[in-house]
Amino acid sequence: MSGHTHNADDRRELQMARSMCWHCQSEMAGEYFCDRCVKVQPVSKDLDYFTCFGLPRRLAIDTQVLESKFYELSRAFHPDFYQNKSDAEQSISLGNSAMLNTAYRTLRDPIQRAEYLLDLEAGSVKDIRTSPPADLFEEILELQETLDEFRESDRSSEHASTLRAKLHTDRTNLEERQRDMEAKLQQLFSRWDALQDRGEATEQARAERTLILKDMRDILSNRTYVKNIVNDLVATIA
Amino acid sequence: MAYSEKVVDHFNNPRNMGSFKKEEDGVGTGIVGAPECGDVMKLQIKVQNDTIVDAKFKTFGCGSAIASSSLATEWLKGKTVEEAGKIKNTDIVQELNLPPVKIHCSVLAEDAIKAALADYQKKADSK
Repeated sequence: MSGHTHNADDRRELQMARSMCWHCQSEMAGEYFCDRCVKVQPVSKDLDYFTCFGLPRRLAIDTQVLESKFYELSRAFHPDFYQNKSDAEQSISLGNSAMLNTAYRTLRDPIQRAEYLLDLEAGSVKDIRTSPPADLFEEILELQETLDEFRESDRSSEHASTLRAKLHTDRTNLEERQRDMEAKLQQLFSRWDALQDRGEATEQARAERTLILKDMRDILSNRTYVKNIVNDLVATIA
Repeated sequence: MAYSEKVVDHFNNPRNMGSFKKEEDGVGTGIVGAPECGDVMKLQIKVQNDTIVDAKFKTFGCGSAIASSSLATEWLKGKTVEEAGKIKNTDIVQELNLPPVKIHCSVLAEDAIKAALADYQKKADSK
């Protein structure tokens, strides 16, 4: 195989490259069933979930297409249909079904889909991790301290109601920020998809890719921190 | 999945919970987070004559993260700055019997130690 670069298109080609049927050893071109002997083939562990469903590596995906493809493949691999087949085929059917379920669960949820894409691209983009959000940490620690103070306070006291009012305001602000982050994420998703669709291999396109991925990583991380503190807030003052 | 006895013990009786004033002389502060789970950990050391005389932590996260940082503060006390830098997350994993899905909690504690040491060094150098 030639092509040692870490380009997404190269990798897709690699998956579709010819391989050999485990049973009749005839050459195949990446299908799930051998043309010649019709035996089921194991889904390669290197196959990414997008390729597994025949989808491009985009963040906006048609969930109906995903679902119908999932049902189609689920039927094709379902262990029930392999009960009378050989051990090898039964085990392939089990493995493929497990992989398919994980792939579907991951791609169905937009956030998990983005996290997965970041994992996939981490190899091709150096240092996708960015610096920790120090300000956000400080803010969270401070909020947690107020929460502790409130938990320990006498709920009927004036001090407690002052704290409660403050925590309510904090909660509203944080929820506002959550909406903000969601909107920014959506924008990044669209920018990523547009870039994928253009398919340019220029230096500029590569730089933009890296930037988009880093921004996505940042927002997704911050989103988790904020979600945790909002959950704590809601649980405590509700 | 059940927590090991040691994790439960640290969780129920956390050692050295609390904080020092950041500006205080000889205090190094490390604040780190795990983006996977959203846990946030603050670990502080107080250094005198190159030895860590006291350590405190505050962790908002799961039991393993709390236990990892609690254990870290116990280990830090009495160590020199150089020795403290040698604490590895694998030591914590071993001591607490952490399962594979909780290894990132021990990594967080190691990162927090490193961040606190770096902060102490930075403050010492700028004097």
